[in-house]
Amino acid sequence: MILINLISLSLLYYLKKSSGAQEFPERLHRYFKYGMIAAGVLIALGISNAPPEILFELLSFVLVGAVIYLMLNTPELVYLKTLAITPLPIVGVKLLEYLVRTISPAIFEIVENYLDAAGVFAFIWAVTMWLNHRKQMKEIEIERIITKEQERQLRQTEEQKSQLELLVAERTSEILSQKEELQHALDHLRATQEQLIQQEKLASLGQLTAGIAHEIKNPLNFVNNFSELSADFLHEISEEMPKIPDSPEKENILDLLENIKSNLAKIRHHGSRADSIVRSMLMHSRGGTGTMDPTDLNALIREYSNLAFHGMRANPNPINVDIQLSLDENLPKIKLNSEDFSRVILNLVKNAFDAMREKLSAKNPEYKAKVEIRTRDLGDKVLIEVEDNGPGVPDQIRDKLLMPFFTTKKGTEGTGLGLSITHDIIKSHEGTLEIKSEEGKFTCFSILLPKSTE
Amino acid sequence: MKILVVDDERDVEALFRQKFRKEIRNEGLELLFAFSGKEALEILEKNNPPQVASVFSDINMPGMSGLEMLDIIKDRFPQLRVNMISAYGDADNYRKAMRSGARGFYTKPVDFESLRREIGEILRS
Repeated sequence: MILINLISLSLLYYLKKSSGAQEFPERLHRYFKYGMIAAGVLIALGISNAPPEILFELLSFVLVGAVIYLMLNTPELVYLKTLAITPLPIVGVKLLEYLVRTISPAIFEIVENYLDAAGVFAFIWAVTMWLNHRKQMKEIEIERIITKEQERQLRQTEEQKSQLELLVAERTSEILSQKEELQHALDHLRATQEQLIQQEKLASLGQLTAGIAHEIKNPLNFVNNFSELSADFLHEISEEMPKIPDSPEKENILDLLENIKSNLAKIRHHGSRADSIVRSMLMHSRGGTGTMDPTDLNALIREYSNLAFHGMRANPNPINVDIQLSLDENLPKIKLNSEDFSRVILNLVKNAFDAMREKLSAKNPEYKAKVEIRTRDLGDKVLIEVEDNGPGVPDQIRDKLLMPFFTTKKGTEGTGLGLSITHDIIKSHEGTLEIKSEEGKFTCFSILLPKSTE
Repeated sequence: MKILVVDDERDVEALFRQKFRKEIRNEGLELLFAFSGKEALEILEKNNPPQVASVFSDINMPGMSGLEMLDIIKDRFPQLRVNMISAYGDADNYRKAMRSGARGFYTKPVDFESLRREIGEILRS
C-alpha cells in the first residue's frame, strides 16, 4: 500500500514543483499541501501496520483517485494529462488486488500470479507513459521558450518601430522647419533680386537723367536768357513809346506789347520751373562730392526746419503749422555731408507741409497741422524721425514713393525727385529710410544713421 | 576793344550781341565769335600780339575742349586774359581752369551782371 501513497506523494510533489512556471491558483496549492500531508500520514500508518489496515488502504486509493481526478478535471492541469494516466494501471491492478484480497482471499490466491503479471505490465506502461510525459514536457518547454523568444523579439521590434517613428517625426519636423527657413531665404533672395534689378534700373535711369539734364540745360538757358532779354527790350520800348504821338495804331501796338510782356513772363516762369527740375535731376545723379564732417545734427535740424517753415510761409498757399522739436540733447556730433543732409531735412519737412496742406484744404475745422521732428541716440546709430499728422500714404504707393519722378502732387507742383534725392543722400551716408504711415492719421519718415562713417 | 567769345552754340552770338547792345553801341565794344577752339585760335593768330583784349570760352565743346584751347592760348599768348564758362559747376573743371591760368570762371546759366562788370573793367582798362 505504501506504493500507492508514494505515487500520490510524488504526483503532488511534482505538481507543487511545476507550479513555479505555471502559477497555479491558491486553491490548488492548498489541495497539494493537504494531499501531501495525507499521503505522509498514510505512509507512516502503512509502515507501522496500524489497524484497521483495510480502511487506510481504502483511504490510500481514495487519495490517489482524488489526485488523478483533480489532475484530469482541472483546466490549469490539463497539460499533465499523460502524467495523470501514468500510474493509472498500477493503481488499477493494486485496487483489483486489494478488492479481491479483501472480498475473497481464496480467489486471490488463484489470480495472484495473473495480478503480479498485470502489475509488471502496469509498471512497464507507467515507465512508458512517464517517458512520454517527459518528452511532452520538453516539447512544451521548448515551445514556451520559442514563444517567449518570439514575444521578446516582437516587443523589441515594437520598441524599435516606435523609436523609429519618433525619429522620423523629429526629422520630419526638422525638414519642415528647414523648408520654411529655405522658403524664407528664397523669398528674401527674390526680394533682394528685385531690389537689385530696381536699383540697376535706377542707376541707368540716373545716368540717363544726367545726360538728359545736361542736354536740356543748354537750350533751356537760351530760352531763359532770350526771354529775359526780350523782356528788357520791351521795357526799353515802353520807355520810348510816350515819345510817339497817340493814335489808334499806337493803342493797338501798346495792347499787343502788353500781351507779349505777359507771354514772356510765362515763358520765364515755366523756363525757371524746367530749370529747377533739371537742377534737381543733376543733383540726383551727381556722385558723392563734398566732405563728411562731424556735425551738430540737432543744430542742422533746427536751422533747416526753420528755413523750410519760412520758405513755405513766403511762398503761395502758406499754411499754419505747429512744428515740434524733441531733440536728444546728448546727441554726439555725427559725420555728415551737411550740405547734402540739410536737403534731407528740407525735403522731408517740405513734404510734410505739402501733405498737410492737402488735408487742410479738405476743410476740417478740427484739424491742426503738426510736424514733429525727433532725434534719438540708439548707441551705434542715430534715429531721426519726421512725423506729420497729414493724410498718410496709401499702402499701394508706399514703395513707389522713393522712385524718381513719382509724385502725388497735382499738375506742376512737384518734380517727383524730392524723396528720391532724399533717399539717395541717406544711402550715401550709409543710413536707411523707412516710411510708416496710417491713412488719415500720420506719416513718419524714420532715418537711421550709423554714428561713425569713417 | 575786341572780345572773343568761343562757344559751339551759334545762338550765343545773338545772345551776347543783344545783351551787350549798349556797350557795343556806346562804349566801343567789339564782339568776335568763334564756334570751336580751332576757329578761335585761327582768329587769335591773325595778328601777333592778338588784337583781342579778352577771351570768354565755353569748356564743353566738340573737338578741342575749352580747357585744351586754354592751354594752347596760355602757351602762345601768355598775356591774354581768358575766362572760362562751364555748364557744369563742378570743382574739377574749376581747378583745372585756374591751374591753367584762367582769369575767371563762370557757370551756366551765365550771370550776365557779373559778366557785364568784368567786360566794363576790360573796356575801361
